[in-house]
Amino acid sequence: MSEMWINMGPQHPMTHGLWNLRVRIDGEMILDVDPEMGYLHRGIEKISEDRHYNEVITLMDRTCYVAGMAWEHLYIQAAEKALGITAPERAEWIRMMSEEFQRLASHIMWYAAFVQDLGLMSPFLYGMRDRDLILDLFQAYTGGRLTYEYMRVGGVRNDLPEGFPKQAREVLDWLEPRLVEYDRLCMGSDIFRSRCDGLGVLKESDCVRLGVTGPMLRSAGSKRDIRKDRPYSRYSQVEFDVATADAGDVTGRYLVRMEEMRQSIRIIRQTLDWLDHHPGPVIADHLPRWLGAPYAPVGREGYLLKRNYPKGVGLSAIEEPHGEACAYVVNEGGEHPYRVKFRSPVFANLSACSHYLVGYRVADIPPIMGSVDVCVGEVDR
Amino acid sequence: MAITTLWDVAYFMATALLGLVGRIIPPLAAPLGNVDLIWGLAALVFGAILLAASMINTIMLIWFERKMLGRFMDRRGAMHVGYAGLLQNFADGLKLFRKNTFKPRDADGLGFYAGPTAYLVTSLLMFGVLPVSTGWSDGSLPLSMLLALVIFSFAPLFIFISAWSSNNKYSLIGGMRSAAQMIAYEVPILLAVVAVVVVSGSFDLNTIVNEQRNFWFWTLPLTLAMIVFVTGMLAEMERIPFDLPEAEAELVEGWNTEYGGMLFAYFMLADYVRALAGSILIVLLFLGGWTLPSYVPAALTSFPLAGIFWLMLKTYLVFGVFVWIRAALPRVRTDQLLRIGWMRLIPLSLASVVIAAAFVLVKCVPVLGCVPSMGG
Repeated sequence: MSEMWINMGPQHPMTHGLWNLRVRIDGEMILDVDPEMGYLHRGIEKISEDRHYNEVITLMDRTCYVAGMAWEHLYIQAAEKALGITAPERAEWIRMMSEEFQRLASHIMWYAAFVQDLGLMSPFLYGMRDRDLILDLFQAYTGGRLTYEYMRVGGVRNDLPEGFPKQAREVLDWLEPRLVEYDRLCMGSDIFRSRCDGLGVLKESDCVRLGVTGPMLRSAGSKRDIRKDRPYSRYSQVEFDVATADAGDVTGRYLVRMEEMRQSIRIIRQTLDWLDHHPGPVIADHLPRWLGAPYAPVGREGYLLKRNYPKGVGLSAIEEPHGEACAYVVNEGGEHPYRVKFRSPVFANLSACSHYLVGYRVADIPPIMGSVDVCVGEVDR
Repeated sequence: MAITTLWDVAYFMATALLGLVGRIIPPLAAPLGNVDLIWGLAALVFGAILLAASMINTIMLIWFERKMLGRFMDRRGAMHVGYAGLLQNFADGLKLFRKNTFKPRDADGLGFYAGPTAYLVTSLLMFGVLPVSTGWSDGSLPLSMLLALVIFSFAPLFIFISAWSSNNKYSLIGGMRSAAQMIAYEVPILLAVVAVVVVSGSFDLNTIVNEQRNFWFWTLPLTLAMIVFVTGMLAEMERIPFDLPEAEAELVEGWNTEYGGMLFAYFMLADYVRALAGSILIVLLFLGGWTLPSYVPAALTSFPLAGIFWLMLKTYLVFGVFVWIRAALPRVRTDQLLRIGWMRLIPLSLASVVIAAAFVLVKCVPVLGCVPSMGG
């Protein structure tokens, strides 16, 4: 058979979203790949310029639909820096707990989708079952299961409901043995190992050169984790280890993510203990009304004079479940951010795909691309 | 006349039908009494009953898989149509039947339509050959096992024809994978069957099954052959972990990507027909078919239709193992699959032939009994 291009996408079971991977193959061998993204571009950064600071949070949930809380956290940090507002201590801990719960949910979702690409249907349903418990938790304190709109500039919307710590601990107690079960289903299977070992290798130096971050970078031996390197929120006050692997292959990414789930559980347990003993306000006092009010108070000319607003620039970076995400919020004075810019980790991870796909087989594309954990919402924004 | 076999039922129905017509239209009574005519009609009735039974069993097999897979996955499976979802597959089939079947513009019409049809028809032929119980399928052929395997190996041809004529790259890759896989796994399957033939001394499935009744440690010399045969069958049925030709993660649906509606239903049905036939074949060759070992109380085998009952029970258990495998294993890669086939299974199947031959040479093992010698 001669060489040919095949389009894997935009509607293809491998893509897990709306993007197109063009692959040049010779028989089963991959000669060249060309990712095409942008099918899901919604102009979130541009829309943000027309919204009040708190209204942008709605868009953040939609940026990455499996890690909404992490993106809310990212944006809120940048916006607070730009506006010069600080959140109460308890709100910071709740945010950190939310982000870790989101990491758990996101990684479980990744696990489910990844093993399903390998033809394993049962772990997919186990994953969905267990992720649902975390979504139940989110529902208990935010009211939403995927799109929470929970964080606010200057805090969080509401405090945790009564009985939440107990419910959360029950979920964690349920999840811990499940993670062992997940591991046994995958690492205990020779077929799984033979499908994943040594595939999609990306060395640490290449990761750094290409801007590949997150579990992909750590699986190559790096210990870079913003939660440790540049602690934000209250990550400096909790104990956890950075998960790493050496090989930089699909198995390595799998191991890193599984370990991260265990570490997330560890962090959440510490956070819940802290929250038990430190009641307090969850949103700052004396916040300007124009931050989140659907209708901002307007002056005589129809808008407030620009000089009445604080000015500033906010830059924040967090360790999102998929990698390092950055947000840059420019506040030129006014009710809306002047400019909002995000760095999506998956965009960089995905753009580098020719470096870890070429030379493998067509049948290797699902496990390799699955191990990248693509979330098209944040790629295209 | 005591009605004990399917052939008796068919003959009785044919006679009754023709007799009825003869009574209503007296001038036709004499020509309708013709023995050849009755036999011909009886053969048709026989085939119709066989077809209906195998189709219903196939659909029940799908239900069985869905329910069992559901339990493995911590869910319930189909629940709503009929009791415990028993009629769900009939509903699904009717839905597909109502759908418009369309052909891609550049697809080759003949191959596109004939491929799935031939695939289903040849798969169904299996039930004409497989004996299901004593007297169920009339006229035991001396080479029925060989014929069954020949029919079983038609499939890659039709899959490749339909894949090629779909004019789709995914279909073509899937079709080529399918052809490579099935041809590679034919060899160990046939060699494993040789071991069975060596021990039983016959190519006739009826004889093979009857030998197993008297020789209850049958599986001992054939354990290796059985492992090879089951693995090969798994690949022939294109089930996980060997379902690469339709690996949906990379090839969408593999060779049936372009098929929809009833043609897709043909493929699905034929897959399960082959799964049923393959499971029956495993039961016939290695697990005693419709018989139970001779030391089992006679009451267990003497009730009406006992043979079919035991055969189907064993078949569903074997298929249950396949479902279990599907729930527990990921899919292998093409090169790994071919390596397993050529480098592991073929040596193993050769070894199984040697082991079987050694047992036949020893003939009698103390305590266990005697091997049915070659050719009786």
